[in-house]
Amino acid sequence: MTTKDVVFGALGLLACCSGVLVVTARNVIHAALWLVVTLGALAACYLLLTADFVAWVQVLIYAGAIVVLLLFAAMLTRAPVGPGQDLDSGNRPAAALVAGGVGVTLVTLLVQAFRSAYVDLDRVAGTGAGRPIGDALFRSYVLPFEIASVLLLAALVGAIVLTRPEIGRR
Amino acid sequence: MSTAQSLPALAADFPAPQIAYSALSPMVAVFGAALIGVLVEAFAPRRARAGLQLAVALLGLLGGLLAVGLLAGTREVTAVGAVAVDGPALFVQGTVLALGVAAMLLLAERSLESGGGAIVAQAATVPGSADERALVGTDHLQTEVFPLAMLAIGGMLLFPASNDLLLMFVALEVLSLPLYLMCGLARRRRLLSQEAAVKYFLLGAFSSAFFLYGLALLYGYAGTVSLPGIAAATQVTASNDGLLYTGLGLLTVGLLFKISAVPFHSWTPDVYQGAPTPVTALMATGTKVAAFGALLRVYYVAFGAIRWDWRPLLWVIAIATMAVGALLAITQRDVKRMLAYSSVAHAGFILTGVVAATRAGLAGSLFYLLAYGFTTLAAFGILTLVRDADGEATDLSSWAGLGRRSPMVAGAFAILLLALAGIPLTSGFTGKFAVFSAAADAGAAGLVVVAVVCSAIAAFFYVRVIVLMFFNEPAADGPTVAIPGAFTSAALALGVAVTVVLGVFPSPLLKLADQAALFIR
Repeated sequence: MTTKDVVFGALGLLACCSGVLVVTARNVIHAALWLVVTLGALAACYLLLTADFVAWVQVLIYAGAIVVLLLFAAMLTRAPVGPGQDLDSGNRPAAALVAGGVGVTLVTLLVQAFRSAYVDLDRVAGTGAGRPIGDALFRSYVLPFEIASVLLLAALVGAIVLTRPEIGRR
Repeated sequence: MSTAQSLPALAADFPAPQIAYSALSPMVAVFGAALIGVLVEAFAPRRARAGLQLAVALLGLLGGLLAVGLLAGTREVTAVGAVAVDGPALFVQGTVLALGVAAMLLLAERSLESGGGAIVAQAATVPGSADERALVGTDHLQTEVFPLAMLAIGGMLLFPASNDLLLMFVALEVLSLPLYLMCGLARRRRLLSQEAAVKYFLLGAFSSAFFLYGLALLYGYAGTVSLPGIAAATQVTASNDGLLYTGLGLLTVGLLFKISAVPFHSWTPDVYQGAPTPVTALMATGTKVAAFGALLRVYYVAFGAIRWDWRPLLWVIAIATMAVGALLAITQRDVKRMLAYSSVAHAGFILTGVVAATRAGLAGSLFYLLAYGFTTLAAFGILTLVRDADGEATDLSSWAGLGRRSPMVAGAFAILLLALAGIPLTSGFTGKFAVFSAAADAGAAGLVVVAVVCSAIAAFFYVRVIVLMFFNEPAADGPTVAIPGAFTSAALALGVAVTVVLGVFPSPLLKLADQAALFIR
């Protein structure tokens, strides 16, 4: 067991624990901040796995933009942000059961499937850098990449339709 | 300075991907028209928008149909293996485009509702507010619905032609997201409509997550997301079966949700009921046709070698879907909800063709999809005509005696219902015969027996509506039947004509479906 393994395990534990805190926190803002910790720990895991580009994208997009979006949504709507607001519904035990069951199943499945798989990190160094990902994005997956922009356009048009009353009469 | 020097060098050692745009031309036409529609929305004056939008959309759809016709017979994999243009893909694309033309005409109909049509005047107004009441009778119209519908149709064209799971996922989202939005745009009963949109959005997002997780597991299994690559992996790899079957199962959940098969059907009646009826027509036909195209490709191309593993699963789902759809349709008191459950039952009938896993099964399913699509689209179209003071009168009791007051509309609806029930000399009978005989030949005789019993149960509630329309006294304060405008008339005529013609002369289309029924691998 190398130092890398120990650090990786610690980061994984951090991600799991803060993940649990995201769903158990009594305050929406606290939950969003715990989410930053989870996503940050995951980004550090990616770094250890030599996927540095993915790690920085994770920090920029998820820990940065998405969580900021969540906080803005909580601020701009009448979401219950104060302490003591009851966020739990009566379905809590059932939800915990389903989530636990899914978690156990998937972990068992992945451990079973990749028990004997071994990747030498020194040999794959560089596969997670910007260049190979850019290559894949603009060559093998160029069509899905371009079609995703159509999806964003649909979302933009839809957001305007649902929220913006017609300004002025033409 | 350094970047200026290195850019040409970088460009030199980056070989550009080969994309045959001619093979993608149906998608290019539709997405192009959608983009022009967005520009029209930005620059055209409001008075001119609705007409311009319809013209642009119809041009795009007809251009796409022309492109599909020109591509007939093409068998080509392009865009670095991401898109497969072959017989089934082109057949499904042609069907979706033709259904899209009819749905677009229904969307554009403005004579039924004091100049505005079925789409809300301004989606951003609060339901029940004074603003909303002031707008409901005006000729205002949220014309963005046209480019949104075109984007959804573009996704429907790409979905069955996707040869890799990643593109399939993106196409699934492109076809779903505009539909989620359009569900919330009904002119009347806005709260019901918005509830439908939220419900569809949340459940659809869950089902997409299932699809994505299945995709990830299959990537872990095969090391690739391309369908032929997964097929090759199932033939050589004996280990990691857990990943394969769990991945396949999760992927199937995402696909079954879109075709509204049991047990992933519970959204269907609520969403179909709440959405504006032209949008429901597009969802019930175009989405289902496209999703079946994708389902067939996934099962036949990627998992054809392990068909003995997935056939029993689809057996059970087909039986459950037919039985639940038919039985729950009987209990409905609302025509729109009844048609929604009828579309669930038909998903089960088409699944019997999928279970066959033969060329005949594929050809039968393709024929059935086209026949079902036109019949169902016209049936929803007729729902827009029967109205009372609150908009569409979909309660079953108010349809009593409709045949005496409006024999043309009631007669057309009766023909469509008979086709949905599968009575001979209609397209529904030919379609059912094609999928059932294919399933029986492939050794699924038990399934066919169940399917025939379920067809008989389903016939009961279709015929009940016919009896109600023609042999009951009309209610004193019953609904009126609006005179359809030119657009609705054209869409209904198309649907009824296809239903009758495919029942009387099915052989040319059966032959075409049979020729098309070969996936490129």
